[in-house]
Amino acid sequence: MKTNTHFAFFDEGSKKEIRRAIMKAVAIPGYQVPFASREMPIARGWGTGGLQITLSIIGKSDVLKVIDQGADESVNAVSIKKLVHETTGVELTEQTNKASVIQSRHRIPEVALTEDQIIVLQVPMPEPLRKVEASEYMTKRMHAEDDYSGVWLMLFEQIMKYGKTATSADHPVYVNGRYVMAPSPIPRFDNSKLHQSEALILLGAGREKKIYAVPPYTNVESLAFEDYPFSVEVFEGKHCHLCGSTDVFLDELIDPETGETIHQCNDTSYCIEQLNKKAEAEVQTSYA
Amino acid sequence: MAIDQVHDLQQVYRKVLHSMSRPGTISSLADNAKKVDFNLSCFHATFLSAMTFLDAEVTFHILSTEQQSLIDKISAYTSSKYAPINEADFIIILQEDTEESIQHAFAECKNGTLIDPQHSSIWIIESSTLSNSGELTLTGPGIQHEARLHTSLSSSLWQARNERTKEYPLGIDLIITDENAQVVCIPRTTTVEITGVS
Repeated sequence: MKTNTHFAFFDEGSKKEIRRAIMKAVAIPGYQVPFASREMPIARGWGTGGLQITLSIIGKSDVLKVIDQGADESVNAVSIKKLVHETTGVELTEQTNKASVIQSRHRIPEVALTEDQIIVLQVPMPEPLRKVEASEYMTKRMHAEDDYSGVWLMLFEQIMKYGKTATSADHPVYVNGRYVMAPSPIPRFDNSKLHQSEALILLGAGREKKIYAVPPYTNVESLAFEDYPFSVEVFEGKHCHLCGSTDVFLDELIDPETGETIHQCNDTSYCIEQLNKKAEAEVQTSYA
Repeated sequence: MAIDQVHDLQQVYRKVLHSMSRPGTISSLADNAKKVDFNLSCFHATFLSAMTFLDAEVTFHILSTEQQSLIDKISAYTSSKYAPINEADFIIILQEDTEESIQHAFAECKNGTLIDPQHSSIWIIESSTLSNSGELTLTGPGIQHEARLHTSLSSSLWQARNERTKEYPLGIDLIITDENAQVVCIPRTTTVEITGVS
């Protein structure tokens, strides 16, 4: 038997509870608001936090884009898109600038987001202090007391061990000068996109039952020391082997035939857009 | 036509969320307000906001003592329970409420704790027509440079609000509604300066 699901899967009571949590999250930027994370038809840790936010805010006129580590066509992204589409009937897109709601795992798109967009990030570990303190009560107290020595110490130890901060992804940030926040495992390359963003950024951790947010035009500063400034991944001298882009986040791949190291845009829709632009330009010049 | 509990309230929510994330940005709920066919002693935008956020898990308080029928209706439509001012999650201030009673409400309402700053009250407060040319200058998260706002709340009420949000992250978040079904939000992070005369 196939049951008819309610619009956007959730009952209205669940939506209200999540909507209230989002409101508080927006009002207290970077603070993790607890919420009653629901059992979802996908496994915890597969984007249930993001999915619950998406389902609670989405309406009939929205256009949804879902990305998983930069890709529109990966299994996780496709499953989430299917679930939302089947329960709401909203239009789906792969083009960043056409979407009104973007759910993303571990990337912020290369194309700059606008005021009319909301980006929902999936978060596995929302607590930046968890590595230094196992107790939830203690970490909540540390946030209350503005005591972030633990997270600074963590970065300091990385510098002692490796000569640099070795966070690779999920590099902690200060939001509005008050809360230290885990920006979800986005590469450091994307951290600057959180600062004074035009779009509203919502973050959801389903397993850990937390929702938090970065409102637009909010200061977001990556944690760094004066003598060890924050640095992002560099791709100097490298370019995408498909579209040739240079100033984007690149994946390092090995060509299975030649065994050579090649680089490719991580944001697949951006890459396709560049290729289409090139193809269009070629057609115009060859038939001109 | 009756309001659609699913789609109208979703639209209202997104408008309020847009305004809450961009303090000073006025959103219009006029399309949804048209469908409100109840005879209520509050603005349509106030009622829609209450319908959007209230349910059995939260409590509300209406400041006015003469509004038993509105309390009963909101309770009946949302299953939300009425609570005293110092316990309520949502506080509804109607236009008829006096300056003195609102001052008192600002002092009494809950504004969270340092461990749980979300345990604070959200105010749904009625004003005469809102506009972006006014006596208030807003700055803070969600505002690129600064925003201007006009409400009918007096400067002493804004001072009372500022007093309750001084100890950030403690604070209260306001949803201000008007008779034209417009809403504007002032979360606790917004610095409100009274720059002109009202």
